[in-house]
Amino acid sequence: MKKRVVITGLGTLNALANNVPDFTRALREGVCGIGEIDLFDTAGFRSRTGGQIKNFNACDYLSHGFPTKRMSRTDKLCLAAALEALRDAGLYPPPEKLKEEIGVAIGGGAGGLLEAEEFYRDYIKRNGKNARFSTLSSLFCASSADCLASIFGFTGPKSTFMTACSAGATAIGYARDLIVSDHASIIVAGGVEPMSRLTYAAFNALKSVDPETCRPFDKNRAGLSLGEAAAIMVLESLESALDRGVRIYGEMMGYGITCDSFHMTAPDEQASGAVRSMLAAIRDSGLSIDDIDYINAHGTATPVNDVTETKAIREVFGKRAYAIPVSSTKSMHAHTLGASGALEGIVSVLALRHGFIPPTINYRQSDPQCDLDYVTTGTRKADLRCVLSNSFAFGGNNTTLIFGRYAERGAADV
Amino acid sequence: MFKEKQADNTRRVVITGIGMVTPLGIGKEEFGKRLFSAETGIAQIKSFDTSSLSSHLGAEVTDFHPRDFISVKNMRRMDKISLMTAASTRLALNDADFQITAENRDRVGIVLGTAFGATDITVQFLRTLFTEGPSCVNPILVPNTVMNAAAGHTSIELGFRGVNTTVTHFAVSAENAIAYAAAEIRRGTADFIFAGGADILSEFYYRSLIKFHALSPQNKGKEESRPFDQDRNGMIAGEGCGIICLESLQSALARGRQPYCEIKGAGMGSSPTRPTAWPKNPEGIKNTLNRAMKNAGGSVNDIQAIFASANGDKILDAAEARAYAEIFDSAENKPFITSLKGATGESFSGGGIRACALALSMEKNILPPVVGLVNPLGPLAFVTGEKKELEIRKAVLAGISFGGTYAYLIFGK
Repeated sequence: MKKRVVITGLGTLNALANNVPDFTRALREGVCGIGEIDLFDTAGFRSRTGGQIKNFNACDYLSHGFPTKRMSRTDKLCLAAALEALRDAGLYPPPEKLKEEIGVAIGGGAGGLLEAEEFYRDYIKRNGKNARFSTLSSLFCASSADCLASIFGFTGPKSTFMTACSAGATAIGYARDLIVSDHASIIVAGGVEPMSRLTYAAFNALKSVDPETCRPFDKNRAGLSLGEAAAIMVLESLESALDRGVRIYGEMMGYGITCDSFHMTAPDEQASGAVRSMLAAIRDSGLSIDDIDYINAHGTATPVNDVTETKAIREVFGKRAYAIPVSSTKSMHAHTLGASGALEGIVSVLALRHGFIPPTINYRQSDPQCDLDYVTTGTRKADLRCVLSNSFAFGGNNTTLIFGRYAERGAADV
Repeated sequence: MFKEKQADNTRRVVITGIGMVTPLGIGKEEFGKRLFSAETGIAQIKSFDTSSLSSHLGAEVTDFHPRDFISVKNMRRMDKISLMTAASTRLALNDADFQITAENRDRVGIVLGTAFGATDITVQFLRTLFTEGPSCVNPILVPNTVMNAAAGHTSIELGFRGVNTTVTHFAVSAENAIAYAAAEIRRGTADFIFAGGADILSEFYYRSLIKFHALSPQNKGKEESRPFDQDRNGMIAGEGCGIICLESLQSALARGRQPYCEIKGAGMGSSPTRPTAWPKNPEGIKNTLNRAMKNAGGSVNDIQAIFASANGDKILDAAEARAYAEIFDSAENKPFITSLKGATGESFSGGGIRACALALSMEKNILPPVVGLVNPLGPLAFVTGEKKELEIRKAVLAGISFGGTYAYLIFGK
C-alpha cells in the first residue's frame, strides 16, 4: 500500500490577503484583489491593473533576526509564507531531530527580477559599468528555496521547478513523490511569483492581458490579470503527522503531468494535453470521475484557455461535467503564474476543509462555448470529498493536482 | 510494451541512449574520443569580446549546426539553449534506437535541468523594454524568456507528450532532473524520459561570474582550469547540453537494447550555506552521498568511480575532496575520482554531460582523466594524466551547488 501524504500547514500572501485566515474570508466573500498596481510605472503598457500584494513590510513578518537585508522581495515573500505554514504545522521553531527529514520544493517564476531589473537597466544603458552585480545574487528563482532551507536549517532534499504557470503545482506533486519514496518525511512545498516589468511587458506584448479586470468564462473575457503570490504548504507523511499529533487539513491524493507538444504559448485546441493531465491525476490518485466534487480551474480568462479547458473537462467527465462546480479563483487573486498551482492548491485544501466552493467573480454574460457550472452567483456551501486543480503553462506544460478530505482508513493504510 | 501503466516502484531504470552538444564535441563518437584522450574544450572566448575583462577563457560549443538535427520550421522559433537541447535529445533518441509514434508519444517525456536558462534572451528583451519602451517589445521573444522553453521546444520538435518538467536549481539542476526522471520511470508514469541539463555561455552571464569572483584567475595568477589541484584558482565558464534516455529494464530488454548502465538510486540534501557561496563544510556532501548509497542499497565498498563536481574553485574542491577522504576512509578499495570540468568548463547543469560521460565510461570500462590536475589535493585516487582502464561496477555522479544543495546518483552495471 502506498504511503499516504497529508497537508499539515498552509501559508500565503497574495492580492487578497497576507495570511491564510484572511484569505479564507476573502475567498468566501468573493472579494476582488485586482486593481491599479504601484510597484512600478505602468505607463505605456496595455493594462495598468494587476493582483499586487498590499502592505507587505518584511519586518512585520520576519522580525526574528532573519537575515533579510540582501534578500529580494520574492525571497522575503516566500519566507513569510513558509513561516506561516511552518507555525501552522507546529514546526516553528523546527525541532532539531526533524531537520534532516524536512526538504524544500518550490515552483519558481521571475525570482528576484523586480530588483534585478534596476541592475539590468544600468547594465544595458551603461554597458555594465558600475552596475551592482550583488542584486543578482537573488535573481534566480532557486534563491527562495536556498534561503528557506538555510534559514530554518533543513537538510533534506531541495529543488526548484520552473515550468512557468504550472511550476507551483509541479513542486507539490514532486514533494508528494519525495515523501512516498522515503527521501524525506516532510516537504515545505509551494510556489512564489513576484510582479516584474519583464513579465508584465511579456504578457502585454502577447496581448493576453485584459486591460480591465479578468473575467474568467465570461463571453466578453479579454485576457488574464497578472498577479503575484507566495503560497506554501507543509506536506507530510501521514505517519509523521499522526506521530506529531497535528491537525490534518486534507490529503494529497495524486497528480498528473503532461505536455501538449503543440505550441509554446497557445493551448492545443483539441485539449489533449489538458485531458491527459486530468486523467493521469485521477488514475494516480486511485479515484474515479465520480469522486471529484469541485474543480478549481486554471481559468485564466484568455479567450482560448477557457474554451479549451471547458472542452477538456467535458471530455474527461462526460455527463458529470455538468454536475461538478467549476470556478476560477483567478478572478479574485489574479493569475500568479509560477505560484498559481500552489496558491490554487491552497484554495482547494481550504474548500475541502471548510466546506465551501469559492465563486468565479466578475462574470456577467454567459458564453455558449463555456457551458459548465462556474459558480458565478456567490460562494456555495458544499461537503466536498475530492477537489481537482488544473494548471496549464507556456511550453505546453500541464499539471493537475487532486486533494481529498482526510479520512481514517485504519492503521494498515498509513 | 508501452502498456506498463500500473504504478510499480520495483521497475528498474536503465540508460539506453545518450546525446550531447558540448565544447568537447557533438554526438557520442566525437565527445567520447576527445574525452578519453584528455583533450580540452577550453579556449579563448570567440562569441564576444573579452578584451576589457579580467578573464578570457571559456568552454564554448563550436561547429554546431542545428539544421543537422532540427526541422527548419521549428528552428526559427528556438533560441540557443533550445537548439542545443533539441539537438542533444534527438541524438539520444537516435542512440537509443527509438521511434516516436502516435501510439507511444503520450508516455514519452523530458525532464530538463537548467541553472540559468536563456540569459541571452532576457537581456535582449529587457534592452528593448528599457531603451525603446513596452510597445516595441517583440512578442516572438516572449516564449523563450521562460526557463521551460527548451523542454517545450524540444517536445514540439520531437513529439513528446508525456511528463514534461524543468528543474532549475543552480549547479544541481541536471542531477535533480535525472533523479526525478528516474523516479517517474520507476513509478510507471512514463515509459521513456529524456533527462539532463543545458546551459549557455552568454556575455551577460560571463560578466556576472567575473563580478562574483567565480572565474579563474581568482588570485591574479595564470588563467586555467585545474579541478582538485592545490594551485587551482577558480573555474572556467562553459556551456553545453547532455541528455540521457531513461527507460525501464523490462522495456529495454523487450526492445533488445543493451543498456549502458542502470540508475540504482539517488540521494538529495541541503546544508545551511550563504546564498551564492559554495559550502565550506563537507557534512552536506557526506550526508547526501550516504543517503544515495542507502537508497541504492550498497556501501562504500562497492563504488569504483566518482564523477566529481569539482570545478577548480578554492572552496568547492576542498570540501568535496575532504568529504570523499572521510567517507571512503573505511573502504577496502578507494574509488577513482575524476572531474570533467577541466575539459568542459563549468556549465552548472553539466550534470547532464557528466551523466553521458559516465554512461560511456561504464560501457567501455575507461575513466577519463581530470584535465589540468597536476598537484592533487590530499591522498585520493584521482585519475590524472591519461585515461584509466578499470572495471566499473558502480559509479557515483556528484551534484553540489552553491547555496548548499546536493544531489547524488548511483549508477550500476
